[in-house]
Amino acid sequence: MSRMVPLLEQLGVDTRWSVIKGNDDFFQVTKKFHNALHGRQEKITEHDFAVFMETTKRNAEEVELYGDIIFIHDPQPVGLVARKHEIGKKWVWRCHIDLSHPDEKVWNFIQPFVLQYDEAVFSAPSFSRELPIRQFLIRPSIDPLSDKNKELSQSLIDSVLTKYGIPKDKPIITQVSRFDYLKDPVGVIQAFELVRRNMDCQLVLAGGTATDDPESDKVLAEVRERAGNNPDIHVLLVPPGSDIEINALQRASTIVVQKSLREGFGLTVSEALWKAKPVVASAVGGIPFQVKNKFTGLLSHGIEGTAYALKQLLANPGYARWLGENGREHVRYNFLITRHLRDYLLLFLFLDYSSDVDVMYL
Amino acid sequence: MAQWLTDWLIANWLKIAVPVLAFLATYVVSLWLVRVLDNAFRRWTARVGWEAGQMVAGAVRRSLLFWFLLLGALIAIQVSVLSPQVKGIIGKGIGSLFGLSLGWAVIVLSEKLLKLYLPKMKAPQPTIALAINVVRVTIIVIGALIILEIWGMPTSPLLVLIAVAVLAAALFLRNAAPNLFSGFQLGATRQIDVGDYIKLETGEEGYVTEIGWSNIQIKGLDESIIIIPNSRLLQHTVINYGRPLKKAKEPFRFSSRTHLTELTGLKAKDLRQLVDILREAPDAVVYHHTHRFLQEYHYLTPAPSNDFAIWISDALGDEVLGETLASVDTFEFPNLGALRERLVGIIEEYLAKGSNSREAMPGSEFHFMKSVSVILPTHYVARDIREFVEALRKISLDALYFHMFESRLRLGRGLNDFSIWMQDSLGEAELGDQIARLDPYSYTLEALRLALIQLIEKRIK
Repeated sequence: MSRMVPLLEQLGVDTRWSVIKGNDDFFQVTKKFHNALHGRQEKITEHDFAVFMETTKRNAEEVELYGDIIFIHDPQPVGLVARKHEIGKKWVWRCHIDLSHPDEKVWNFIQPFVLQYDEAVFSAPSFSRELPIRQFLIRPSIDPLSDKNKELSQSLIDSVLTKYGIPKDKPIITQVSRFDYLKDPVGVIQAFELVRRNMDCQLVLAGGTATDDPESDKVLAEVRERAGNNPDIHVLLVPPGSDIEINALQRASTIVVQKSLREGFGLTVSEALWKAKPVVASAVGGIPFQVKNKFTGLLSHGIEGTAYALKQLLANPGYARWLGENGREHVRYNFLITRHLRDYLLLFLFLDYSSDVDVMYL
Repeated sequence: MAQWLTDWLIANWLKIAVPVLAFLATYVVSLWLVRVLDNAFRRWTARVGWEAGQMVAGAVRRSLLFWFLLLGALIAIQVSVLSPQVKGIIGKGIGSLFGLSLGWAVIVLSEKLLKLYLPKMKAPQPTIALAINVVRVTIIVIGALIILEIWGMPTSPLLVLIAVAVLAAALFLRNAAPNLFSGFQLGATRQIDVGDYIKLETGEEGYVTEIGWSNIQIKGLDESIIIIPNSRLLQHTVINYGRPLKKAKEPFRFSSRTHLTELTGLKAKDLRQLVDILREAPDAVVYHHTHRFLQEYHYLTPAPSNDFAIWISDALGDEVLGETLASVDTFEFPNLGALRERLVGIIEEYLAKGSNSREAMPGSEFHFMKSVSVILPTHYVARDIREFVEALRKISLDALYFHMFESRLRLGRGLNDFSIWMQDSLGEAELGDQIARLDPYSYTLEALRLALIQLIEKRIK
């Protein structure tokens, strides 16, 4: 959003970005909702629903709902649509998470809100459900000029490696993601250990903790314990706003891994592909759209598969380079913010057209 | 009074007769000399074939006669008994007249020569006018200086004024001068003419509509007027494609397309569900799933597969049926209905054999989507085949895709737009046929662009 809003403004779309507020209880609940909608078993109580509704009501009163089109992101603020009856306008719900196998209790709670929207937008087809409102596929994107993706000098990359004590004398396998069970950082360590039996390499697990994710400290502790004193495993807690450091770590990597168990779209994959890095990633969520197996990277389904793919790439640098270059082209054509902007403009346009119209002439 | 005049003439007849005789003698000699010189000059010009000879001879002959008249007058005054002071004044007057007539003659002659030779050098009209004015001003200034000098008047203020004017002109023309000289060079070498199609290495291109003394105007493919300083034409590589080719009855206006994918929410977990939904799905769904891979991976691989084949191979693990569906040649079908019928027919036939009862893993179901297209005009317009091929180099891949794939199959035109235009509007039926026979699905989009350009370039040559 921080990249999208200024660009929309430059295109002449008067855009405002409002953020909802919530306390720890609310974020505990939304985290549970998030996991449950992803299909994970969570203990949801009536109290949780009450906390959600109470915060939603307060936000609906406080949040500025400006403009002709109100674009709501994710389930946390989904209930703001309750004000549609009062203020009218066109409402679009942008869902970034996988709703294909949700916990029915949570989905049944969320669904009445979703049905009040004019359109829904999903990041992957498998995230969608059969709904009576129009649903569009708009994939997320990366900004190639942002700190996280822009070109960096070798000296800057080296300085980041030095800062984190990562030697350059052996291949670097990296996973960048917040410390979350769904990103399976422990599974990454297990896959690395299988690779390390035969090949000299090192692993970097870099990520932060999210303010709306109370579990992340626990996950980080488990990861550190699993890594033990292995000098080839670097567990890096990167503070928020360290985009250039993340960029440098990705650019310094020989291979980038994204071994998620569940994933929204997994934009860290596009970030790595944009840097022409060979990627090994789980075939979950939006990752298969970014990684076409054996064309723009390698897909895996488990720890052993991930280890096998890593070995293939470490042993065949030419093949790894070819995959990385294809991946960069794939991102150039499909996952840059310019494409994303165009999709949003089309979406705004379609709000005024019937669903029967398949071809429009401007 | 009459008596007094008669007495004075008798007493001074010699004082009058000598100057008159000197004047007449000089004039007679000059008439003979002018005739001799004129004849000799005309014979020489006739021998060397100088086309301006007659014109120069005529102008010089008239001026020479006048100048000899002045010479005779000057001699007559000098041999007269007039006081030295009067002789000096009259001499200065004659000198001034000579200066004026010489200046006039040079102006007239140079104008005639410039008007004769500059057009032959292809100098543009504004350049000719400018050159004539420069010559006029120069001669007038020099003439004025000479006359002032003859009369002993100070010339320094005028010289200072001229110097300032020259400096100002130099400053004003410091950028224009290279363009002016480049204009002369372009005209002299005849490398570019009005009507030629040119292309600079810096990207500007179009038909030349005007060649000026400082710049050249071209009309771009988007019908914009581009003004290029003459000096730039000489500093950069310029391709001149020559004269325009046959004009189309109607120009080809390039369009582009973009699209958004709409999710239907429908999904299939096995072949039966897949074929049942496919049979009833809108054409936009068939179009999406037979062209998505092509659009997403156009940079990477030719001969794209369709989503049904990919899913059946990957998610159901049925590589035999996947291969059969992948080998369906989309190019064979004139519309989406026929293509759907073929795909459904293959799956139905396969199911009738009881060959497949596999189900996709949860999360790997086939999700039906449809493509909603938006067609946009671009600013590229082609009126002939040269403009067409140059625009083809520049249009986006989306525009190329629209005219070669989407309009043919989705909009049901049966042929790609390029072939239709070439056959119906440009009178290039054979080229249109060649493009129509080209299977666009066998190329990556950039390779397809290149193949089209090569076909058209070959035709132009």
